[in-house]
Amino acid sequence: MPHHASPAIPLLIKGGRLIDPATGTDATLDVAIGADGRVDAIGPDLPELPDGRTIDASGLIVAPGLIDPHVHLREPGGEHKETIRSGTAAALAGGFTTVCCMPNTTPALDSPRVLADLAERCQRTAQCRVYPVAAGSIGRKGEQPAPIQALAAGGAVGISDDGDAIADPALMAHVLAQTAKANLAFMQHCQDPTITVGSSMHDGEVSTRLGLVGWPRHAEEVIIERDIALVEQTGCSYHVQHISSAGSVELVRAARARGLPVTAEASPHHLMLTHEACEGFNTLAKMNPPLREQSDVESIRQAVVEGVITVLATDHAPHAKHEKEQPFEDAPFGIIGLETALPLYAEALVHTGLIDWPRLIALLTVEPARLCRLERLGLGQLALGGPADITLIDADHRWTFEESQVAGRSANSPFLGRTMVGRAVASIVAGAERMDRLVAAR
Amino acid sequence: MLGLRGMSADSLRALLGSTGRMLAHASYPGDVLETLAGRTVATVFFENSTRTRGSFTLAAQRLGAGVVDFSNANSTAKGESLADTVRTVSAMGVDAIVVRSSRSGASICAAAATQVPVLNGGDGCHEHPTQGLLDAFTLCEAIGRLDGFDLSGVRVAIVGDVLHSRVARSGAAALQSLGATVELVGPGPLVPESMGALLNDAGSIERDFDAAIGRADAVMMLRVQFERGAAVASTYRERYALTRERALRLREGAVVMHPGPMNVGMEIDAEVADGSGLARGARSLVLRQVAVGVAVRMAALEWCLGGVGACRP
Repeated sequence: MPHHASPAIPLLIKGGRLIDPATGTDATLDVAIGADGRVDAIGPDLPELPDGRTIDASGLIVAPGLIDPHVHLREPGGEHKETIRSGTAAALAGGFTTVCCMPNTTPALDSPRVLADLAERCQRTAQCRVYPVAAGSIGRKGEQPAPIQALAAGGAVGISDDGDAIADPALMAHVLAQTAKANLAFMQHCQDPTITVGSSMHDGEVSTRLGLVGWPRHAEEVIIERDIALVEQTGCSYHVQHISSAGSVELVRAARARGLPVTAEASPHHLMLTHEACEGFNTLAKMNPPLREQSDVESIRQAVVEGVITVLATDHAPHAKHEKEQPFEDAPFGIIGLETALPLYAEALVHTGLIDWPRLIALLTVEPARLCRLERLGLGQLALGGPADITLIDADHRWTFEESQVAGRSANSPFLGRTMVGRAVASIVAGAERMDRLVAAR
Repeated sequence: MLGLRGMSADSLRALLGSTGRMLAHASYPGDVLETLAGRTVATVFFENSTRTRGSFTLAAQRLGAGVVDFSNANSTAKGESLADTVRTVSAMGVDAIVVRSSRSGASICAAAATQVPVLNGGDGCHEHPTQGLLDAFTLCEAIGRLDGFDLSGVRVAIVGDVLHSRVARSGAAALQSLGATVELVGPGPLVPESMGALLNDAGSIERDFDAAIGRADAVMMLRVQFERGAAVASTYRERYALTRERALRLREGAVVMHPGPMNVGMEIDAEVADGSGLARGARSLVLRQVAVGVAVRMAALEWCLGGVGACRP
C-alpha cells in the first residue's frame, strides 16, 4: 500500500553502526540515498552528496525501517481512538516505518471494496507505509469465509480475525486452506470464546482477590493445539499472535521442531508485565490475552532467545480515556504500544543480556517482513536499489514517556511516567525523514 | 471507604469503636445526632439492594444528614458512564456518595472520577466493606470481645459461594486483621484453591463442612449467587447447608451469621436462621447483624465526612 509520498533529496547517513540482519551486516558503514528514495550505495567513508544532506549517525544504530505486523489503526469506524494519520505518526515516533493494520475496523476489512477504501485513505493521510491484514471471515463473525483470494489480490499481506479466534474448526480448516492457496500467513488471535465468558484478566491470585472472572491459560492453548492439527492438514503458514502463556510457547516449540510452518509473536507488555499490574483495577493493564505470571514472562523471553518466537509486535490498541475509565470488566482490552516498543524490547531482551542488538533488529525487520510477505517489496532489509526505509536508534538515550508527548490520539499505556533507555531518533521512509529528534537527542 | 483489604487494624478498631458509640442511637429514630447536620449523602445504586441502601439512608438520617437517591437513574440506560454519573452527582454538591454496582472495582472507578468521598456499598465480587465491618462488630459483641476488638484465637468458617462473594472478601480481610483464623468452606468450583489468596498463613480451605463446624467459633453462611453464574451439584445442600441436623454439631456457644438475603431451605434452615433450632448455647446473629449495620454505616459516614480521618484507607 503506498504511503503518503513526499519529495526526497539525496541523503547521506554517515558514520553509524549499520545493522542489517538480512545480510548479516554489523559494521560502521555509510548509506547513500538517492532522490528517488532508494538506496544508492552502502560502504565505508562514502563521499558527501552534491545538493544532498548529511546526517551524522556516529554513535547511532542504522537499521532497516522497523516493521510492526500487528497494529490497530481504528480507521474506519473508531476515529475517536486513533486515525490512520495519528496511528502512523505514532509508528514513526517509535521508529516504525511500516505497520500492518488489523481488520477489526467498522466495517471490517473483509472485502476488496473495503480494502480499496482503506488504500485510498492511506494514500491521503498515512505518514508511513501501511499494509492491511484482512479478515478470514465475513464481518469477523466466524460464520462465513471471507473471499480470501480476492483479498490477497486486493493487497492483504496476511489473514486474521484478530480480536477473535475463528472458533469453528470446520471454518478454520477452510480458511487455512484458502490462506495457504493465497500464499499468505494466517495470524490467529488464540482465544476460545467458550472458556472466556465474562473473563477480564488472568485466572490467578490477583483475579481472586479482586473478584474478577479469571481467564485461564488453556483458553489460548486449546486453540493453538487444535490449529496445529489443522496446519498439518493444510500446510498453511500459521502465526500465533501475542503469545501469553508458557504452555503456548511449548506448543509452538514442539510444532516448529516437527517442521511445521508455525511462528509466534511476543508483545512488549507480555515481555514486561504480569497480572500484578492489574492491582487496583488498573484498566491500563487490561489486555487480551491477559498479562500472566512471571514464569510465563520468563518462558516468552526464553522462547525469543531460542528462536521459537521470531517476531515482535506491539498489538498497538488505542482506546479513549472515557473508555478506559470504566469499571474494569466494562473497559476495553488493550494498550498503545508503538511509541514505547523499542526501549521495552531492549529492556526485556537486550539489557538483560538475552539477545544482542542485531538479533533484536532482525525480530523487528526481516522476520516480520517474511511473515507479511513484504520481502518481495524489499522491505525489512537495506539492499542496493531497494526502498530506503531506515530507522536511526540511539541505544543509550534515556527518556521518560509522558502523556504530553504521545504522538497518537490515545494515551492508554501502563508505561506512562516510566523512564526508558533507547529510542528511535529518526524514521526515514523512502528516503524522506518523517520523524527526526536528532537535535533534541544530542 | 472502598475496601477493607489493606486497611490497618488500627483503622478497623477505630471504626468498630465508633460503631459501638453509634449503636445506642442507631436503634432509636427519635434520637438524631447532629454530627452531619446540613450535609448531604447521595446513594447511587446501579444494582438492586434493599437493606444496604435502606441502612445507609437510615444511618445518614440519624446523623442529621439529608439523603438524595440516584438509584435506578436511567442515565446509564441512556449510555452515561459510571464515571460521568458520579461526576454529575458530585457537581450538584453532595458531601458523600455511596456506590453499589454489579461490577468489581466500580467504587474505585467512581472514586477516581470525583473529589467527593465515595463509600463502597458493594462492588461486584470485590468488596462490601460496611458488611465486613458489621460482621466483625457483631461477632465481637456476641463473644465478648468489644474491649479492644481482638479476635485472636477465634475461628470463623465462611461457608458456601466464596468465589462470588464480596462479603467474604471484606469479611476475611477484616476478621484476619483483627486476629481471627478464617477457614473457607465449600466445593471446588465455589472455593477454588486460588481463594488461598484471601487468607493469611493461619487460614485454610476446607472441603468437609462437618470437620470445619467442629472447630468453628462462628459459622458465616453465604448464599449461592446463581445470578453471577454459580452452579452447584445436587449434593450441595447435603454437604454444605447449615441444616437443623448439622447445626446440632456446632460447638458450645458458637454463633451463626448470614449477610442476607437468605435462601431459607437452601444454604440454611429456618430454625437455624431464627435460632429456635439451635442447642448448647449456640446463637443466630442474623437479625443482630442487620441492626448493627445501621450503626456501622453511621460510623462509616462520620469517618468519611466528619474529619475523623481520611476516607480512603
